[in-house]
Amino acid sequence: MPQHRVIFHVDMNSFYASVEAAFDPSLKGKPLAIAGNARERRGIVVTASYEARAKGVKPPMPLWEAEKACPGLLVREPNFDRYRDLSQQMFQLLYEYTPLVQPVSIDEGYMDVTAIERGTHPVDLAGHIQARLNNELQLPSSIGIAPNKFLAKMASDMKKPFGITVLRKRQVPDVLWPMDAVKMHGIGSKTGEKLTRLGILTIGDIAHQEPHYLEQYFGVAGRRMYEKAHGIDERPVDPDAVHDFKSIGNSTTLPEDTVNQATVRKVLMNLADSVGRRLRRKHVYAGNVQLTIRYHDRKTITRSRQLPHPVNNQDDIFQAAWFLWETYWNQTPIRLLGITGLDLVEEGKAVKQLDLFDYKRDLKDERLSGVVDQLRNKYGEESLLRGRQMSERDRSDQIRDKKKRGTSLEKDFLREDIFNNNQTEE
Amino acid sequence: MQFTINRERFVQSVQDVSKAISPRTTIPILTGIKIDAAEDGVTLTGSDSDISIESFIPVEENGEQIVTVETEGTIVLQARFFADIIKKLPENTLELSVTDQFTAQVKSGSSVFNINGLDPDEYPRLPEIDESSVFKMPKNLLKSMIRQTAFAVSTVETRPILTGIHWALSGEKLTCTATDSHRLAMRHAEVKSNDADLSFSNVVIPGKSLSELSKIIDDSDELIDIIVAENQILFKATNLLFFSRLLDGNYPATDNMIPTSGKTNITLETKHLLDAIERALLLSREGKNNVVHVKSLEDGKIEITSVTPEVGKVTEHVATNSYDGEALQISFNGKNMIDALKIVESSEITVDFTGAMSPFVLKPAEMDHMLHLFSPVRTY
Repeated sequence: MPQHRVIFHVDMNSFYASVEAAFDPSLKGKPLAIAGNARERRGIVVTASYEARAKGVKPPMPLWEAEKACPGLLVREPNFDRYRDLSQQMFQLLYEYTPLVQPVSIDEGYMDVTAIERGTHPVDLAGHIQARLNNELQLPSSIGIAPNKFLAKMASDMKKPFGITVLRKRQVPDVLWPMDAVKMHGIGSKTGEKLTRLGILTIGDIAHQEPHYLEQYFGVAGRRMYEKAHGIDERPVDPDAVHDFKSIGNSTTLPEDTVNQATVRKVLMNLADSVGRRLRRKHVYAGNVQLTIRYHDRKTITRSRQLPHPVNNQDDIFQAAWFLWETYWNQTPIRLLGITGLDLVEEGKAVKQLDLFDYKRDLKDERLSGVVDQLRNKYGEESLLRGRQMSERDRSDQIRDKKKRGTSLEKDFLREDIFNNNQTEE
Repeated sequence: MQFTINRERFVQSVQDVSKAISPRTTIPILTGIKIDAAEDGVTLTGSDSDISIESFIPVEENGEQIVTVETEGTIVLQARFFADIIKKLPENTLELSVTDQFTAQVKSGSSVFNINGLDPDEYPRLPEIDESSVFKMPKNLLKSMIRQTAFAVSTVETRPILTGIHWALSGEKLTCTATDSHRLAMRHAEVKSNDADLSFSNVVIPGKSLSELSKIIDDSDELIDIIVAENQILFKATNLLFFSRLLDGNYPATDNMIPTSGKTNITLETKHLLDAIERALLLSREGKNNVVHVKSLEDGKIEITSVTPEVGKVTEHVATNSYDGEALQISFNGKNMIDALKIVESSEITVDFTGAMSPFVLKPAEMDHMLHLFSPVRTY
């Protein structure tokens, strides 16, 4: 174990509701719910302000129920472009302190501030960050401070809103052990039920099991559970682990709805470039490429294509995405495009059967891709672009810049699916 | 139309022409078998417009009366029903007659079927082919050549031309080549032609056509005539005509793909290699991971290994009969190798490698009529 680490978990409070209030100050301090189909009353509340929560509005709750619980509830429809935009600004602010920022979702992330501590007390640093988020972006947040990610996450949950909570490893028996097992980050309702059946009710109960016993029932997750219950979590803050290894994707919202093929082509090239580089940086290859198209009416489709062999270069990713685009686009204006690499394979485990007709190209391609990355790492993101990528700057340019990269498609969609259940089709 | 026919012989012909009939055709008339009774016998035709098969049943065969034609005539009957009906009929003979305009009656013993047919005038004509340039080969040789190449055609439509087998004729030597761009099978044979100068190339016959043809010709050394026309090929045997459409487009040049100087040359028993690779693939799941690694060992043996993540690893040493050249380390698709080893028809094979990233050649030992080319698998 390296030296003692200091990890922050920064969690935005009622993020969507807070963003709306930041845009419309008249909503500040009022009970506010964000719900789809607000006018029809059959929507579902995804986020509620603390004022609304205090009156019993608990997302995800049907809108009619929320309005019954909280008369006078203000309701707004979600505005994802706005949330993404503020999410970017929020992470940008965090990056000003350290590059070791790991976004986990649109509204939370970890920071490793071990190196920047220098005399500043972590609590003061957290206070500074929290104040800036509130003053500059008008967003309330809670920050957990701990020696690792798990404890930091648990700490940030302890006081909301505007909490700053320090959780030390030695406090684990006093603070965590009396808590219900399902309160442990990483334990969902399914695992919780299973634990209950085994007579394991609290985090303390987990800590007192034999690790082998837990492993027997939960596999590797059982071992992790045991370690966490003892406040152990050695996972580093990985700026590239935007989400776990299951997929790597980027999306971009266009400045205006479009049917322009040239624009789409350029955006897809940029997305393919960025996804390709992220795959390479993580030393993985994608066996499947998925294209996300959101139309002007918010209807969103995802279509994927199994590849003959796993890839991680811009061309192959672009070709697959372009094929999907040509096959599935319904000719109406689009608002957002996304490319995701799925079925990831680790470097060294990917196989490709060479083509008898052009096997010689393989080696050449691989060498070229490596050189481009080296140049970019040395001279910056803009040093080498393909012809079509070099038109006037637009939003898709920003995704070439890792600092401005948006939130993960996957996490975004989890939230948006609450509004439109039939959005994603296989 | 009315005739009485030996049922067994009739069933055989109906089954042969049914090979050309596709239930998914978009042309309704092609779901039927055309039956044409004439003075000299009965002709059956089936077609899916890519393949057309005509089978003739003469009045007399080997001194035996097979058909008695009472009245000449033509009818088209639904292939699916008709083939089943005549297979199940009780007696050794059956009588087929057209009662009404397009209604047929099939009688055998006390069993009577009345079935509705289609208008024979709607049935498309078979292609007319100029038969002045013909070459011939024994049926069993043709069957072998098909068996030894057709397995290597591409089954995906990304490059449609590769779903066919390329035929080239030059100086009475026929070369058949098939490749799916990962492996290539090539087979040569001497053929007889009525015109010694007859030559062609870029004749690409759908793999499916040749597989069907192979099923309906018997394994004898009787000669079969082959005529290549503009966009059709015709195989002509006794009482059988088999037409196939040719594929449009240019077949890629394959001659220059075959490496001429190997760096490592090994000779080994076909069966030893086949068995070892089959064992190596036992751990692979549903053909998903068919990668086999081959490495040379000190004592002229080779080591075959295969790893399936989360399942396990298999290692086996195989003795070679001879080993010449550089040390070897290469990975390839074991399934493709098995396909080839099963049809080489030689107890010993030689393999020429030119490096881990280059295609390699497998041949029956000391023979030149057949060649298999494989691309290696790159792990990255």
